[in-house]
Amino acid sequence: MTAEVLRLANLRKSFGSVSALKDASMTLREGEVVALLGDNGAGKSTLIKAISGVHPVDGGEIFVRGRKVSIRSARDAMDLGIETIHQDTSLAPDLSIARNLFLGREPVTLPFLGVFAPLDFTELRRAASALLKRVGISKNLNADALVNTLSGGERQSIAISRAMQFAAKVIILDEPTNNLGVEETHGVLRFVKEVRDAGHTVLFITHNIHHVFQVADRLVVMRHGEIVAEQVVADTDLLTVESIIMGADMSTLLGGSKNHAEAAG
Amino acid sequence: MTAVTEPMELSRPRWRTTVATPQFASLAILALVLVVFAVGNPNFLSPLNISNMVAYLPELGIIALGMTLLLTAGEFDLSVGAVFALGPVVVMLLAQNGIVDIGPALLIGLLVCVAIGAINGLIVTKIGISSFLVTLSMLLIVRGAALYITQGFPLKSWDQPGFFVTLLAGSFELGSFRLYTSLWWFIALTLLAAYTLNYSKLGNWISAIGSNRNAAIARGVPADTVKIWLFILTSVLAGLAGMISAFRISAASPVAGTGYELEVIAMVVVGGTALTGGHGTIFGTIVGAIMLRAIRNGIVLVGVPGLAFNIFVGAIILVMLILHAMIRNRSTRR
Repeated sequence: MTAEVLRLANLRKSFGSVSALKDASMTLREGEVVALLGDNGAGKSTLIKAISGVHPVDGGEIFVRGRKVSIRSARDAMDLGIETIHQDTSLAPDLSIARNLFLGREPVTLPFLGVFAPLDFTELRRAASALLKRVGISKNLNADALVNTLSGGERQSIAISRAMQFAAKVIILDEPTNNLGVEETHGVLRFVKEVRDAGHTVLFITHNIHHVFQVADRLVVMRHGEIVAEQVVADTDLLTVESIIMGADMSTLLGGSKNHAEAAG
Repeated sequence: MTAVTEPMELSRPRWRTTVATPQFASLAILALVLVVFAVGNPNFLSPLNISNMVAYLPELGIIALGMTLLLTAGEFDLSVGAVFALGPVVVMLLAQNGIVDIGPALLIGLLVCVAIGAINGLIVTKIGISSFLVTLSMLLIVRGAALYITQGFPLKSWDQPGFFVTLLAGSFELGSFRLYTSLWWFIALTLLAAYTLNYSKLGNWISAIGSNRNAAIARGVPADTVKIWLFILTSVLAGLAGMISAFRISAASPVAGTGYELEVIAMVVVGGTALTGGHGTIFGTIVGAIMLRAIRNGIVLVGVPGLAFNIFVGAIILVMLILHAMIRNRSTRR
């Protein structure tokens, strides 16, 4: 078993009287793709927002490589090597690819000028082009192109590359294949595997169980703010996973039809 | 440079990508407008008339700089016209009643503007009410305050020349042109704003916040703080412009700047800055400011009845916006 990268212990989060997260615990290990599943309102988004610092938790503990940490802001998470690609909201469409890749971590000259420090455009373009080339999407992308000229799949690839560039230990993808075409979806899923092969740990939130079986090593299911199951993908099947998500025994509902699982798979 | 590795089909000629932007479309229209007025009335380009236009230009232009940055970050401020009045009214009241000297009075006036901007920014970002509603209410509060503390009357003229008066509203001759020191303020602030928006780290944050606030926050950009400071900046610039104007005409009126908020927003969007945020251009704002000033002046000179003035202003703004929309729709994928 490889080394533990991120461990969540008894995370709790409430919004008013609603408990979005109650006692959620899980562990991510080095170089694995873990799928996070659950129905709408199961607490998936709350969980990843907690890890990425968007909504800090009310209680519980987070450990990065065994060391207890406190994540109170997006900056904290990034500094700990946790990069999150939020659904549809990861890039600023009016900015160039290069400016997006370095948003919040802009290379500057004269750093003593603080926020007024001039951007180092030479370094910005050089690093952006190098990155686009390294991740294999340089063939038709110019680092100065505005993001709103790109397709959905290209945008996801840019967002994922950005996470990789800062040598993130954990990359969290929130429904990365949402609103993508078939070909683009395959491109992104292939990219997720490449990210894992490069040694990063990926937490992959999705509604699409088929994608889980294509790329994930393990899966974690949430329901009503709790983690209800953790399974190794190779040891389970689609019907079982679906029934866990629904909170019902699907095989009895469907009259024990194994064919359904095969047809759907 | 990286240009060598770029594919041919995507690298449109650089001049074409530069020219096909809203701000250059605005520049072309401005040139057209100037030519039409110059042909329509030769006096349009006389030193006296140009001096007149340039005297007014900085006052709205300075507010437009702040508004450009604020709009780029996705917010706007309708209270600037009222702040334009309240700022100098506070200064004149304090100075003329002998409460404090003119220097401290100016400082207190600007601090009042800081407070107004901070309140706008805090309510918009921390309570989450749209800037339209917040600054509309602030417009009424500030205008009402200006009227109340002056009892509705313009304050008597300030007639003691001194360092601060020269600093804000001094004038000088350049050949046959008569120019005001406010022009230097405008030029300096323009360069500062253009640098900040296009070349600094802060400028990258401002554009990103307006383009996709959640993405910016997820990258660790302090979006709320940036917005609050932009509200403060816009408010302070509106107050400063009001003080420049009040010293130039030696009077502070509680109804000065009425309607300026819309004229300033018009200048900014005519220049090519998106009303929805994410894309701002200081160069375009300068073009827009000159354009609205030139139209206001030129339309009267070419013989259009003064009361018909707004028809033309409205029509030209509409044409500009249609042009910008066409340019944008052609170049982006949604």
